[in-house]
Amino acid sequence: MPAINYTAVVAKDLEDLIPVFIKNRSKEIDSLRAALGAGDFDQLKALGHRMKGVGNSYGFAPISDFGKTIEDSAKSADKAAIGGCIDAYVDYLAKVQIVYE
Amino acid sequence: MSDAQEAFRVLVVDDDPDMGAYLGLLLTKEGMRADIVADGDSAMMRVMTDPPDLILLDVMMPGLTGFEICERLKSEETTALIPIVLVTGLEDTESRVRGIESGADDFLSKPVKREELVARVKTLRRLHETRKELESRRLAAEVERKEAIRKTFSRYISPRLADRIIGDAGKGDDIFTKAHRSNVVALFADLRGFTRLTDQTEVGRVVEMLNEYFSILSEAAYRHEATIFNMAGDALLVGFNVPFPQANPAERAYLCAQEMLTRFAPVARQWEKEQGLGTGVGIGICMGEAVIGNVGSPHYMSYTIIGNPVNSAARLMQLAQPYEVLICDRVYDELRNIVPKEQVEPRGDVTLRGRAQPIKVYNLKVPLPAHPVPEA
Repeated sequence: MPAINYTAVVAKDLEDLIPVFIKNRSKEIDSLRAALGAGDFDQLKALGHRMKGVGNSYGFAPISDFGKTIEDSAKSADKAAIGGCIDAYVDYLAKVQIVYE
Repeated sequence: MSDAQEAFRVLVVDDDPDMGAYLGLLLTKEGMRADIVADGDSAMMRVMTDPPDLILLDVMMPGLTGFEICERLKSEETTALIPIVLVTGLEDTESRVRGIESGADDFLSKPVKREELVARVKTLRRLHETRKELESRRLAAEVERKEAIRKTFSRYISPRLADRIIGDAGKGDDIFTKAHRSNVVALFADLRGFTRLTDQTEVGRVVEMLNEYFSILSEAAYRHEATIFNMAGDALLVGFNVPFPQANPAERAYLCAQEMLTRFAPVARQWEKEQGLGTGVGIGICMGEAVIGNVGSPHYMSYTIIGNPVNSAARLMQLAQPYEVLICDRVYDELRNIVPKEQVEPRGDVTLRGRAQPIKVYNLKVPLPAHPVPEA
């Protein structure tokens, strides 16, 4: 994964959507952890696929990258890689700065 | 913002609420109306109840997948023309092929780039509006064409029959414009005693009486789905099994003749009270192969039937006494099991004018209330 950019440049007209978007990311973390704990790789694959699609659309490129890693790792049932990625995702959400343009 | 843009409705189907909200916002900013649903069943329901102009369809969803929804909508006549864009993070060739096979009109990759989304949706909107415009022009032309057929041929056939012919996958044109051979049942009816009546009746009243007589006969003809080919003097020619095949054409002709006589009888009684002279209808029915087509000159064309059954029906009509229905043997063969024996009166072999061989002729006696019979 490339170096994480903690600055998300988001289109100004998406500003109203961002609070809900961020809230949903927290829920997503819970879902990822639950699926990992249960060894539910199908669910992890689906969640990763969804993250891959939505992250970059909003201007949060690292979320798409985390999603791709989780989706790929779920295909090979790589729990360690998924766990590491979830931790990095949590860290990213804690640090990310949003700039509206 | 133009009306067309405001009216353009996009259904966004995505189980990810953030993606749905994102796509919805971009479309709204472009002046379109976006409706967002989160699963396949809701999408199908929405399309059926409030068909959109375009669908943005996520592929990977719980329940029905985007591919399945696309296949279903494209296989339904009513929804097949709605453009569908598959919005997918699946980038492998197999998924693209699957999308094409399901009938998708376009693809949009996730993450979705707004410029690409807007460009694709605008292109599809233009195509969709052009297609709608062409479709509405085609429908208008079709309505015009059907109306022209209806207008041209309404003098021959009942409105109900015209609707059936026009509705018969557009075959109406050929039926009326191309000459063809067909087995037909020809029925000739003639008003007896009318010439004498006209001599002593005021001319305006004569026309009224003729109109009354033709109204009764043509209503009976329409009710039994006959085609009216000719009204001349006080004679009427109608055909069955023409311009398209009918079930039991001989039986239709028989029932039609019966109705003509029973409905005319009280009118004749009324005329007799008024004028002191009896009238009656004589009918001849024959069946066989005839030519059907438009005959005449560029100045006057007439849709008609020509051939032996028509000539023979005319001859039988001439032989028929008032309130008699004379039929040829071929018609009798068709009616043998329908008409009660006591109502059939064989008239033996008759050589009709213009025919080399005699034919067996039968009179079908129609039970009638007391009616005036013109003097022979």
